[in-house]
Amino acid sequence: MANCRLLMGNEAIGLGLVQFGCRVAAAYPGTPSSEVLPAVVRFARQLQQPTYSEWSVNERVAAETAIAAAWAGRRAACIMKQVGLNVASDPVMSAAYTGVRAGLVLVVADDPGPHSSQTEQDTRLFGLFAKIPVLDPSSPEEARRMVGTAFEISERHQLPVILRLTTRIAHGREGVEVVLPEPVPRFEEAEPEDGKQQRVLPRDPGRWAATPRHRYSLHVQLVEKLRTIAEEAAASSDNLRSGPECAPLGIIAAGHAFAVTSDLLRLLGCSESLPMLRVAMPHPLPLALVQDFQARCERLLVLEDCDATIELQLPDRRRVHGRLDGTVPAAGELDPEALLAVLLAALERADLPHERPPQPLQALMEQVSSPPVKPPTLCPGCGHRTTFYALRRAFPKNTIFTGDIGCYTLGISLRAVDTVLAMGAAVGMASGFYRVLAQEGRQDPVVGTIGDSTFLHAGIPGLLNAVYVDSRFVLVILDNGTTAMTGGQPTPATGIRADGTMGKQVSIRALVDACGVQFVREIDARDVRGIRAVARQALEYTRQPDGGPAVIIARYPCLVANRGLPPEDRQRVEVNERCNGCELCVTDFQCPALSMDERQEVVLIDRMLCVDCGACLQVCARKAFVPVDPEGGAK
Amino acid sequence: MSAARDCRIVVAGLGGQGVLFCTRLLAETALAMGWPALTSETHGMAQRGGSVVASLKIGLHRSALVLSGSADLLLSLDQGEACRNLSSLAPGGHCLSAATQPWSEQLRAVAEQAGVGLHSVDAAGIALSLGAPVLANIALLGALGELPFAPVPGDQLERVLRRRSPPRLLEGNLAALAGGRRAVREQR
Repeated sequence: MANCRLLMGNEAIGLGLVQFGCRVAAAYPGTPSSEVLPAVVRFARQLQQPTYSEWSVNERVAAETAIAAAWAGRRAACIMKQVGLNVASDPVMSAAYTGVRAGLVLVVADDPGPHSSQTEQDTRLFGLFAKIPVLDPSSPEEARRMVGTAFEISERHQLPVILRLTTRIAHGREGVEVVLPEPVPRFEEAEPEDGKQQRVLPRDPGRWAATPRHRYSLHVQLVEKLRTIAEEAAASSDNLRSGPECAPLGIIAAGHAFAVTSDLLRLLGCSESLPMLRVAMPHPLPLALVQDFQARCERLLVLEDCDATIELQLPDRRRVHGRLDGTVPAAGELDPEALLAVLLAALERADLPHERPPQPLQALMEQVSSPPVKPPTLCPGCGHRTTFYALRRAFPKNTIFTGDIGCYTLGISLRAVDTVLAMGAAVGMASGFYRVLAQEGRQDPVVGTIGDSTFLHAGIPGLLNAVYVDSRFVLVILDNGTTAMTGGQPTPATGIRADGTMGKQVSIRALVDACGVQFVREIDARDVRGIRAVARQALEYTRQPDGGPAVIIARYPCLVANRGLPPEDRQRVEVNERCNGCELCVTDFQCPALSMDERQEVVLIDRMLCVDCGACLQVCARKAFVPVDPEGGAK
Repeated sequence: MSAARDCRIVVAGLGGQGVLFCTRLLAETALAMGWPALTSETHGMAQRGGSVVASLKIGLHRSALVLSGSADLLLSLDQGEACRNLSSLAPGGHCLSAATQPWSEQLRAVAEQAGVGLHSVDAAGIALSLGAPVLANIALLGALGELPFAPVPGDQLERVLRRRSPPRLLEGNLAALAGGRRAVREQR
């Protein structure tokens, strides 16, 4: 085990992609999938493999890039979170019909819980809908191995394959061997006889440019492919079967729910007495295997994360318990607590003996008051906070603030975000709210906020549409120079590519101009007074007869991505005797470094959290914050 | 390779305190001992200064998630988060938390009744005395390595920390580890 490394599931998949000969990997960052692509870059370098990696501008472009590579006969992968698949769904659905030449793996990370997502959607159900096979690993190392399986199936049957992760697999870690595998069978071009290079895509318009007439026969072929894949999957050694042959109760489980169930059954002393089947491929379901298992159990319990994908595919659902009959909660992650309750109820219903589960201290703990769960906040020194604070003050109470997806969603608590729908929706929804207001002759301001990466991902069509139909709102682009929430991936505006080399920088200002916006101002995101002034001008402009949508670009680099505040921006601040404990800086500005003293009389600065950004100097009307020299003494 | 300890650990704290780092270091130390280890982390939105919980299992398990009431060890970088997560412990389990204040009487009584050990170390104080507040997590690990319920041996933890530390951070990291260790010895 010389090369055994503790790898995150996402890193293990990145390793697997390199090991199994992926030539093109394209992704857009999104929790919990963001660490896959950087791992591809790292392992391609380490294992000296020629894998190209890119952060695409969005998942749709990533999918199209990967599909083209697979059509060109090179193994390819597209990596995204579950809602990213919604963005990519148009080309992906179509690619199921056309199929591929070399292997194409779509790595899609679901987020039951949800921990960091808008939905708990089940990508396995998407596979059912799109007619794409889905593999559902139960551990990080298995996820790595299944990259190989996915490429094999994809090439054997010439269609894309989804490798579905959930948060616990993506962000779980375990020991993984970092070695170059034996050469795997790859898609090889036949050597041209005349020595001339062949086209990378053979001419076949009935497939690669299929019109509706051809689509029907492609659909027929696709259904036939799935039937064969389900037959083959029934014999796969990836399906794990344990326990006795026949029993009053059997369990079918998949993904991480299988891992948790295994641990719980051991805890309950039921590992030996209960038959369990782990299905490696929930779609297309290996029916021969599943029905054989079902026939030997009087009752069947189905445990799977996100939704009832396996359960829905069972032809006979009599005496089947799962999400559909309410045995398993319809929403939420199947964590050990949720699954323990389900298992205990099922064991008792089947009158099966089991050991007592551990008795939590819960009851005892209820006697003790413990602090509430601390919600996430914008970092001290973050430019988004000053911007939101200024916007809140620049606009009247009847303003509708449309928000978007990123760290700045946290502007909710600063009361400068009223809506969060989907990537880029701040722009389209601002337009929609304006329509309703304009129709009724109302002047309530509409203000959208969107991050730089999100603007480039999905905000541009909304903005040019607003110019076209003349929707009047103020859009504030919060430009911190990175994709901060997901860990600081570069954006097209930085020009930095996934492997660290320079591409070309794309100018957000130029894009906004090109959309036809006539009012554009760029400003320092920390300048509260300046933003208030510009915001009022912008609102004014949207109300002029010859006005239009207005855009403010508020810039300040993310402190996390830049590892702290640059020294020239530092300003130590102290609280002086003018503080009367009004609390406005704590409640309205919400810097985590500010809190009230125990007697609620004065504000305190937590030096462990304070980054000396000096932003609070702009916040107190009484001037109770004063700049000081870090060495001591007032300035 | 020695026989793997079977151990369930919950690591708690606030975003940015080093919950993930502690979890990873413990897991890597287990791997270095030849013991199987699994961890689970929280990323994204949950990381921005909010409550963060990670889990680690050493031994033969399939999932890293620890059933509430079954943890052998709760390691916390924040005293409030330690209180909130105390119910993750099994009877006979231990909680070690970074803390600046003594545990409340009420909490002590509950812990005693449940057979749970409460331990604390002023990790922030140790880190501050070294001029680097970010080292509190390593000071806490140093303290853990000295305690009889440590899931991995303290000297192995140090070996892995040495291997993992970039040269410019090595000295500070080792000083914090030693500081945590010393604090436990002085408590005895």
